[in-house]
Amino acid sequence: MNGARGCRRLPTLTAAALTVPLLGGCSGPLSILDPAGPMAQGVAWLWWLMAIFFSLVLLAVGALWIHALRRTPREVTVVEARRIEKCWLIGGGLILPGVSILALLLLGTPVGQRMLPLPVEGEQPLRIDITAHQWWWEVRYPDSGVVTANQLHIPAGRPVDLHLGSADVIHSFWVPRLGGKLDMIPGRTNVLRLQADQPGTYRGQCAEFCGTQHTHMQIVVIAHAEADYQAWVEERAKRRVTPLAGAAGEIFATHCGTCHRVAGVSDGARAPDLSDIGSRPTLGAGVLRNEPGAIARWLHEHRRLKQGNGMPAHDDIDDNQLDAIAEWLETLAP
Amino acid sequence: MTERQAGATPDNPQEDQFDAVWGNPRGWRALTIVNHTTIGLRFMITGLVFFLIGGLLAMLIRTQLALPGQEVVGPDLYNQAFTMHGTLMMFLFAVPMMEGLAVYLIPKMIGARDLVFPRLSSLGYWCYLFGGIILCSSLFLDLAPKAGWFMYTPLSSAAHTPGAHSDFWLLGITFVEISAVSAGVELVVSILRSRAPGMALNRMPIYGWYILVMAMMIVVGFPPLILGSILLELERAAGMPFFDPSRGGDPVLWQHLFWLFGHPEVYIIFLPAAGIVSTLLPVFCGRPLVGYRWVVLGVISTGFISFGLWVHHMFTVGIPQLAQAFFSAASMLVAIPTAVQVFSWLATLWLGKPRYSLPMLWLVGFLLVFVCGGLTGVMLALVPFDWQVHDTHFVVAHMHYVLVGGMFFPLMAGLYYWMPHFSGRMPSERLGRWGFWLFFAGFNITFLIMHWTGLLGMPRRIYTYETGLGWDLPNLISSVGSFIMAIGVATLLLDFVLHFRFGRRAAQNPWQADTLEWATSLPPSPYNFASLPRIEDRHPLWTRPDLPQSIARGEHSLATADHGRRETWGTDALTGRPSEIIHLPGNSLLPFIAALCIGVVCISLLAKGYWIALIATVASIGVLLRWSWENGAHPAAAPDARTQPGDLPLHSRTCDGPGRWGMGVTLLANGSLYLSMLFGWFYLWTVAPGGMTGEARLQHWPLLLGIGLLSAAVLWLRRCLKRLRAGDDAQLAGNLTAVTGLGLAQSALLLWALLDAGLAPRASAHDALLMFAVIYLLVHCVLGCALLALQSWRVRLGLVNAECPYEPFVVAPLWQYNLGVLASGYVALLLFPLSWSAS
Repeated sequence: MNGARGCRRLPTLTAAALTVPLLGGCSGPLSILDPAGPMAQGVAWLWWLMAIFFSLVLLAVGALWIHALRRTPREVTVVEARRIEKCWLIGGGLILPGVSILALLLLGTPVGQRMLPLPVEGEQPLRIDITAHQWWWEVRYPDSGVVTANQLHIPAGRPVDLHLGSADVIHSFWVPRLGGKLDMIPGRTNVLRLQADQPGTYRGQCAEFCGTQHTHMQIVVIAHAEADYQAWVEERAKRRVTPLAGAAGEIFATHCGTCHRVAGVSDGARAPDLSDIGSRPTLGAGVLRNEPGAIARWLHEHRRLKQGNGMPAHDDIDDNQLDAIAEWLETLAP
Repeated sequence: MTERQAGATPDNPQEDQFDAVWGNPRGWRALTIVNHTTIGLRFMITGLVFFLIGGLLAMLIRTQLALPGQEVVGPDLYNQAFTMHGTLMMFLFAVPMMEGLAVYLIPKMIGARDLVFPRLSSLGYWCYLFGGIILCSSLFLDLAPKAGWFMYTPLSSAAHTPGAHSDFWLLGITFVEISAVSAGVELVVSILRSRAPGMALNRMPIYGWYILVMAMMIVVGFPPLILGSILLELERAAGMPFFDPSRGGDPVLWQHLFWLFGHPEVYIIFLPAAGIVSTLLPVFCGRPLVGYRWVVLGVISTGFISFGLWVHHMFTVGIPQLAQAFFSAASMLVAIPTAVQVFSWLATLWLGKPRYSLPMLWLVGFLLVFVCGGLTGVMLALVPFDWQVHDTHFVVAHMHYVLVGGMFFPLMAGLYYWMPHFSGRMPSERLGRWGFWLFFAGFNITFLIMHWTGLLGMPRRIYTYETGLGWDLPNLISSVGSFIMAIGVATLLLDFVLHFRFGRRAAQNPWQADTLEWATSLPPSPYNFASLPRIEDRHPLWTRPDLPQSIARGEHSLATADHGRRETWGTDALTGRPSEIIHLPGNSLLPFIAALCIGVVCISLLAKGYWIALIATVASIGVLLRWSWENGAHPAAAPDARTQPGDLPLHSRTCDGPGRWGMGVTLLANGSLYLSMLFGWFYLWTVAPGGMTGEARLQHWPLLLGIGLLSAAVLWLRRCLKRLRAGDDAQLAGNLTAVTGLGLAQSALLLWALLDAGLAPRASAHDALLMFAVIYLLVHCVLGCALLALQSWRVRLGLVNAECPYEPFVVAPLWQYNLGVLASGYVALLLFPLSWSAS
């Protein structure tokens, strides 16, 4: 990843940075130190500055302490001792932390300010509504009426305002390479502004402990070039799925469709919208990669794959019918 | 040196008498012991056991995370493990351990024979033990709390965590907190009122300052969580929707209450540990601590600042930017008093002649680890950085650096340092050093790399992770490190156990320390000192090295025990001038029985057996009143009231003893709970997203009339006490009964107002909180009446009179408090909503 090259050039003097070569750098799909947007970039810089400065402080204090332990003290008069005491207390106790704090606040506050969803001039940020559920993400595009789940398509190169809410417990939306996290709290709506500089795929993860499957509450952000994004929205907005024929279709309507929506087929609202399930990167909000056959596996084993998830056991459905449903669902891709 | 040290050399003919009065019984009667030395040791040993259980859970967590995609435990068990790990370490290890050490050391350091409320120490211990056992039993029932040690609602609510999981936490922890708060009250009063003659506040050992501030912080800081726990438990059990946004509540209110406690908690753990550092370093440098006044000021300001930065745990909640900036700056500000201490220690080292010793090794470890944790703490206080790393493993690393560095390392230094006290023997060098290095290396291997894991984006509290995220190697390293750390702990344990058998016998004052706890025999007798010396300066054993011998020979004050009383000095809070002789209660089974009854309340609430809970509550109150009966001039409290001519009076023969101070500090804790409740009320009205709905339907006139009645009662009581102080006890019983009657009339009015209001506590948070507040007021008024009625009875029995005027002076502040909360409650609950709706 391109950010990694940037941070390898930074001094490796710091204790934390000593581990860099060991770990193969700062890159990673969820790495804070591999920023892909202006909000995350600001924080990454802040980290490196603080890491270097505080490492120096730590080294200095530790070295002083050990030196004080080992040196042979010379005799000092009472007056001299008083002077030395004052120097230490005022210099180390007041001036050092005072100046550091001031510098830190002056440096950090503007970075934080730039991350806020403040009003902008000109083109307004795109609004997307995200509602967290135990344990999946419901994503709505109010301008076009598009609904999807566990994936977020955004245009690259311009800010996006995510309106965050929750349907049950407290969750937290976080895509580390794009920016900070913000909690999703029942009864409130928080607004998080993110921006991806380049088209690409970025991973996100629920960051507030939300129960049994907190681990499997992941989201994938797909940033498109502007034209591609518009094409995706239009395609999704007008898409109507042809229902599955036969007994399997019947079963889908009576079992699955009461909770899941498929545009033009069913209207369930409790569970993730499945209109584009075939094109999603993962299943179960991060439990399985969405490869051929994965949906069938999920339908057969979801109780085991994601213990505690909200989908009923449905053991009464015949295996062949399940496979037929899975096969059809795989085709649902814009 | 001989087997028992100078302090016990039988130069003193009084020693047998002291043993008879102060001795600890054996066998089952050991349950009755109230002596601070024994209670302190019990706290520490129990804390150690909970530490080991918490440590095992940590090893389970690290095993699960060692490799990607492991299934050593499933998500549910994992969630229970980390919830219990945090809960055990914070509530059942760190705080009780520090309190236990303080309970053990404080009287010895300030030259007293015991804490001023010995039975309360005992109650505190039993509540801690029973609460801890109840909480841990949930692990074996597969019902352990699993919503995180912070219990965020709605996740911890009945809808999202059915079953008794969260109830174990809420009830068990509240039970344990009784212990924390009672020890807090007791330490504050003991430090302020029972220091050795002449020990003015500025001559107090620095550890005393640290513990004073810690105890005050417990007294003020724990009640918000107690309130939060009660409210959440009421929501779970009775459906009162304090935190439910669909019925006017707000889940963020829980976070405020939790962190209002939770942040001071960190300093409650850190300050006593820093106190150990400030005590030990000067001893091993052979010179006084540099900047005593600076450090005292630093500690006090840490205490204050720590109550103003709880919101930094909530930077990602989405609260207004200005508030975030304020709390960010406040959080960083706390670095200043901490830096003052660090540089005072450095200067002490610089100017002194440090000698090597095992405790010193732990102090060096402390400094490196803690400073690292403090610095990452300043980073986290920076809001934008926190938005990224909040709830990642970076925070896990930071928090362990602060807590293990700031608490465990100094604790180990302290335990090694005071080891001769516990066993009469010196610590080993070799095995102890192995233990240190294993622990130090293991700790840093585990947690240094974890900063990096967090920066690579690994969130907290996930039970597994897939490969390919860059997290595999750092996690494996952390897990290996944690096992090295575990081996270190085992080595330390082995060293502790072995030293009881093989340690070298300790000489008197083996480290050449300056503080009074080294003037006792090793191990100390229950009464610590056969006679209580006058203190002239801050370093008594440096200026008067022969003090241990003269104390043991009974050459100082209060050197007899032929009256059968346990005595220590009651001194002026500022100057240390003696003002009375405090006679302390002896061994008693009542605290044990009281704790047992409260335990039954706790268990029956868990099992939803509300009738048994009610019966056990009544029984607990009965036991506590029985306990309060054996006070003051009761023969069981002072078997022989005669004093030598010219002696100061016994405290029960004065108008101002430790009990009055205890009442004051308890009311401070109570007031903190009350203010937290008002905070919740105003919060729901002003900040909560739903806004309060519902109007105050309580009628104004019963409350106004009640305020009038209670004011009259308080004035009347004041007049009675004024006359009593002047030596006039005529009509006392009748007057007290009449005042009680006024109080009862007021309580009846309040009850009527509550019933008349027809509140719907399940339908709206407004009604629920209003009902809770009124019941709070009602309980207090009835309690005030009960205590005063008992007083008037005691007057009739001749236990309270002009000779023994003490007890009504203890009860009176409760009545003043009741008037205060009733009047302010009226303004907040009835008048404020009017103005809010009008605007």
